[in-house]
Amino acid sequence: MSRPDMPGTTPGTRLPAGPAAAAVGAAGTDTHCPYCALQCAMTLTPEPGTGTAVPVVAGRDFPTNRGGLCRKGWTSTALLGHPERLTTPLLRGPDGVHRPIGWDRALDLAAMKLAQTRRVHGADAVGVFGGGALTNEKAYQLGKFARLALGTSRIDYNGRFCMSSAAAAGNRAFGLDRGLPFPVEDLDGAHTILLLGSNVAETMPPFVQHLQGARAAGGLIVVDPRRTATADFTADGAGLHLQPVPATDLVLLLGLCHIVIHEGLADQDFLAGRTQGHHEVVRSVAQWWPERVQSVTGVPVHLLRETARLLAEGAGKGGSYILTGRGVEQHVDGTDTATAAINLALLLGLPGSSGSGYGTLTGQGNGQGGREHGQKADQLPGYRKITDPAARAHVARVWGVEPDDIPGPGLPAVELLGELGRSVRSFLIFGANVAVSAPDASRVVAGLRQLDFLVVADFFMSETAREADLVLPVRQWAEEEGTMTNLEGRVLRRRAAVAPPAGTRSELWIMAGLARRLQAPSMFSDDPETVFTELRAASAGGLADYSGIDYPLLDSGAAAYWPYPAGSTGTPRLFTDAFAHPGGRAVLVPVSPAAAEPVRDALFSGSALALVTGRLLEHYQSGAQTRRVPELAGAVPRALLLIHPLAAAARGISDGGPVTIENARGTVRCTARHSTTVRTDTVFLPFHFPGDESANLLTSAAADPISGMPEFKASSVAVTAGWATDSEPAAGNGTALPATIRQEAS
Amino acid sequence: MRVPHVVVVGYGPVAARLADGLLPSVRRGTLALTIIGEEAAPAYNRVLVADLGVGRTTEEAISVSDPAGLAAAGVSVRMGVRVRRVDRARQAVLLADGTTLPYSRLVFATGARPVVPPLHGLNPDPDAPAALPRGVTALRDLADAAVLRRAVERRQRVVVLGGGILGLEAALAAHDEGAEVAVVHHGPHTLGRSIDAGAGHTVAAALRARGITVVADARALGVELGRADDGAPAFSGLLLDGGARVAGELLVLSCGVRARAGLAEGAGLAVDRGILVDHGLAALHDPHVFAIGDCAQVRCLDASCADCAPGNGPLGLIGPGWRQADWLAGVLAGIAGAPGPGAAGGTGSAAADVPLPAERAPVMMLKARGVDVVAAGDVASGPFDDVPGLAVSMWADPEHGKYVKMGTRGGVLAGFVSVGMPRTGAELALLFERGSELPADRSALLRLDGPDGLAVGAAASDPSRTVCRCAGVPAETITAAVAGGCESVADVSAATRAGTGCGGCHGQIRELIEAHFAPAVH
Repeated sequence: MSRPDMPGTTPGTRLPAGPAAAAVGAAGTDTHCPYCALQCAMTLTPEPGTGTAVPVVAGRDFPTNRGGLCRKGWTSTALLGHPERLTTPLLRGPDGVHRPIGWDRALDLAAMKLAQTRRVHGADAVGVFGGGALTNEKAYQLGKFARLALGTSRIDYNGRFCMSSAAAAGNRAFGLDRGLPFPVEDLDGAHTILLLGSNVAETMPPFVQHLQGARAAGGLIVVDPRRTATADFTADGAGLHLQPVPATDLVLLLGLCHIVIHEGLADQDFLAGRTQGHHEVVRSVAQWWPERVQSVTGVPVHLLRETARLLAEGAGKGGSYILTGRGVEQHVDGTDTATAAINLALLLGLPGSSGSGYGTLTGQGNGQGGREHGQKADQLPGYRKITDPAARAHVARVWGVEPDDIPGPGLPAVELLGELGRSVRSFLIFGANVAVSAPDASRVVAGLRQLDFLVVADFFMSETAREADLVLPVRQWAEEEGTMTNLEGRVLRRRAAVAPPAGTRSELWIMAGLARRLQAPSMFSDDPETVFTELRAASAGGLADYSGIDYPLLDSGAAAYWPYPAGSTGTPRLFTDAFAHPGGRAVLVPVSPAAAEPVRDALFSGSALALVTGRLLEHYQSGAQTRRVPELAGAVPRALLLIHPLAAAARGISDGGPVTIENARGTVRCTARHSTTVRTDTVFLPFHFPGDESANLLTSAAADPISGMPEFKASSVAVTAGWATDSEPAAGNGTALPATIRQEAS
Repeated sequence: MRVPHVVVVGYGPVAARLADGLLPSVRRGTLALTIIGEEAAPAYNRVLVADLGVGRTTEEAISVSDPAGLAAAGVSVRMGVRVRRVDRARQAVLLADGTTLPYSRLVFATGARPVVPPLHGLNPDPDAPAALPRGVTALRDLADAAVLRRAVERRQRVVVLGGGILGLEAALAAHDEGAEVAVVHHGPHTLGRSIDAGAGHTVAAALRARGITVVADARALGVELGRADDGAPAFSGLLLDGGARVAGELLVLSCGVRARAGLAEGAGLAVDRGILVDHGLAALHDPHVFAIGDCAQVRCLDASCADCAPGNGPLGLIGPGWRQADWLAGVLAGIAGAPGPGAAGGTGSAAADVPLPAERAPVMMLKARGVDVVAAGDVASGPFDDVPGLAVSMWADPEHGKYVKMGTRGGVLAGFVSVGMPRTGAELALLFERGSELPADRSALLRLDGPDGLAVGAAASDPSRTVCRCAGVPAETITAAVAGGCESVADVSAATRAGTGCGGCHGQIRELIEAHFAPAVH
């Protein structure tokens, strides 16, 4: 098994009702889960009679989750009213201790410090970092705040670590990037689904329902160096598991393209009628015959051929889909790898065809909306390019400023974080825990410590907040209104079910307060609906056009998929008639693995193993939330390194014993778990844990030249038994705050 | 200022790769490039010619170069033209059409030609004006592929002479696509010294099980020419030493290749089994001339150089040729005063500063459907042979067509062969190329092809096993809920959350409910 046994809930404990009893009480609030991009529908109902802040969770019938929730969703309300909740701004004193201060003082101070940095070092010396968990309203207003209130180009967000490769590939192939360009239920009827680098059984369990049709048809194909819980779903004739060597996904895909071409499985009519560039791709993959691909990937030729055949066969029988996830995208060649997956889909004639398609499974809760409305360094609202004069003119008009008042493109996340303490002197972080989630994390923390002034807005004392000069306590999902855009590009309403703790404020309110103090032009509202109305205008005419969507429409239950121009009824399925490039054709772009070689870790030299990082069912992202949920932290309290028993035996590493993982970037000390689900040359470490267990101490900040995506999924590491130190590794669960903070904050 | 002019003789896959690498310099105008190809077609992947010959692929799909694209970028592409002579003194090549092209750097990428064995009835002279007789082909170029294609389409009898990898691939592909096939080879088993006798027997059994005739230990003496339907002389049978005759309508010669080095030799360059070049791929004694791919033989002037042990001929593999092309493109771009394309990230380091790494011993992998053979290194020794430092382990299961042998030195593979074990073969190839240490328990590598036998999951009867992964609910919790009154999956879900995520465990929950209510039967 890939995970430790999980203690279950004991019978007799009073539990929230499952879908069978999901009838919504009159007082229930319909909203969506706080965590991943599936945005499972849930209803929060106050516990009758108790008047406590913790409502009861029930799954709600909805096309994405059909009433299902995973363990994270069921326990999500444990964070409401959590004892470690931050409820007052905290200012770090010269002694390093955070002490409460009032909101007015906090914002006065922040505005003064930011203005000072700008005055002394220039506007670009102030940086802003956002997150894919922020609502559309916050993401939109944060981009506007950076550009107008701070005048800086230096804004980017943690979605750069998530969706940027697939987004870049989608844009160059289709002219538009919407994670799934079709509703998720379309997958139900598919005969074949090729899932590359995505462990949905753990990362978005209710999604697995949509794989059932393909499993029944024997057509689920999972590509993963680990035999994950998702790969297990291919057993017993349900499909195939391809287990390539880490960082060889691109070659694997080129090989599949080769087979499709050479076995005559390509859809020639589709290629001729709806695409361009396929001749170049045909030529470029001629060199990747299956045996050569096997010699690079370790995937036997017969599995490659079978995969190609299942895809081609499925296209004629109910449909075939190719879906990519972070496993193949989080690489220095992530854009090219996603492009190769798209090329494969285009060769087979899948995108834009009925019952078939290509999609990328967005990770973060608002990873889709968060990448559309101006948090990205190179982007303006509506998925517009910041370098496009027409886009600048449109947005400037909505904002009531001159186009020249909007700065140009900034730096992608890895580069931006690399500038901390250098050209960036003051920094604001909203909804991200970069001290744990960014690659080469020790360098990031060192950068945070060199800043003149760091502001972090969060609801817990995250590892990043601990580094802040000023910590601003904000609100959680069940305490706020807004919209989120799920992995299908469907815009959803998030609704407040409980009153927020006194002393917390929304990010919108903080931005509005700072903008006023900084005498920013335009308008900054603290009301989500007002901000959304402005977002609609700013997005109008862009690729991600929200202009026809408003809160009453969403509240009516309408399924609103963007683009949704005013006067339309939205776009559940994209590309059915034309792709978004001028001329309407999709573009096949030839790609090759050569470019990645110089910047990627040299893998498998000597006794080094390849490190793959990823998520567990019980935890989410940097774990700042889930490590504070007792049931989840209890199930998986510490980081476990999955290592094959043969690799462990060669190193004297016992099951459950201490293990040290290191490379030139850092050292991780954690606990080993023997598992035959990983290749003998590969180890797996979840990235949810801080301190000595933080996987990103080992990952490389080398980034994809097109998307800026770092190399999270292939690091060369030495693995040895023991901790080479007397002491236990520093706290893995991160729930214990230093006593000083607890006292001062209460 | 005149920019350097690079002339490439040959337009095969290695030359095409070199051209792609030089394209940025040509586009920038810092380099002029001319490619001269004798064939009328642009470069194609010769590895796939057998597939083309049996109709498994198309000419378009095996093409690796776009002459129109190269021309549009400013490359002069001359197809269907022979080079008559190289005048090194004047740094010029003379073409058969009378043109003279001056060069700053000349690159031979002329490849190799198939060996025509000394058989009675065949003219072994490679420059003989008369081609092979009708019904005899060497399966090297597009025309050869067309010949095989016709034979396969007519389901004719095909005789393959040669038991090397290319011969077997052609034989298997032709057989799979409908031809009747016989393989005639020297030695006791196919694939020569790449594999050992045990693997040879296993491969031969696999070939025969498919219905391919295998004639081992044979020495061919001549070809018999009969009359084709139109009365012209055509192949009708292969005559063997001892009087046997293997009848057929097509003879495929697969007797190895020899470097095309005649032009270089005529220009006074040193030639052994290929055009001799140093570690920088430059011809010995002429720094303006290079050779890459199948026509080149790396042999430097240092007699003690271990990488250049005499007897090392051209490898005859496409991979090393492409690596040479990539590397040389960097060097030539450097001459043109630009960062080499080898540094694709644009670091700008002159590629010439980084020596071309010596090629590792190649991994031999049979391209065939349903017959998995992978081998590398020396596999001659057996487990009980007393070879100092060499440890050999093996597994043989002839009934099921499986055979694996691995020889290690210090735990690292020195050679291996794997037949009929695809996953094992794939992993051994990776371990061989990386030089990684094998697991102490070698048998673990054999089990990779088993049906997930290594999974050590919780037993189906373990009450603490997780039934609902999404909500983290063990079987015992569900059993207790059923004992407490739950009668349906919905009841169990409401009480325990089991089954409320992906729903994949509903069947197991139902079984637990049924087990509880089923009358005890003994």
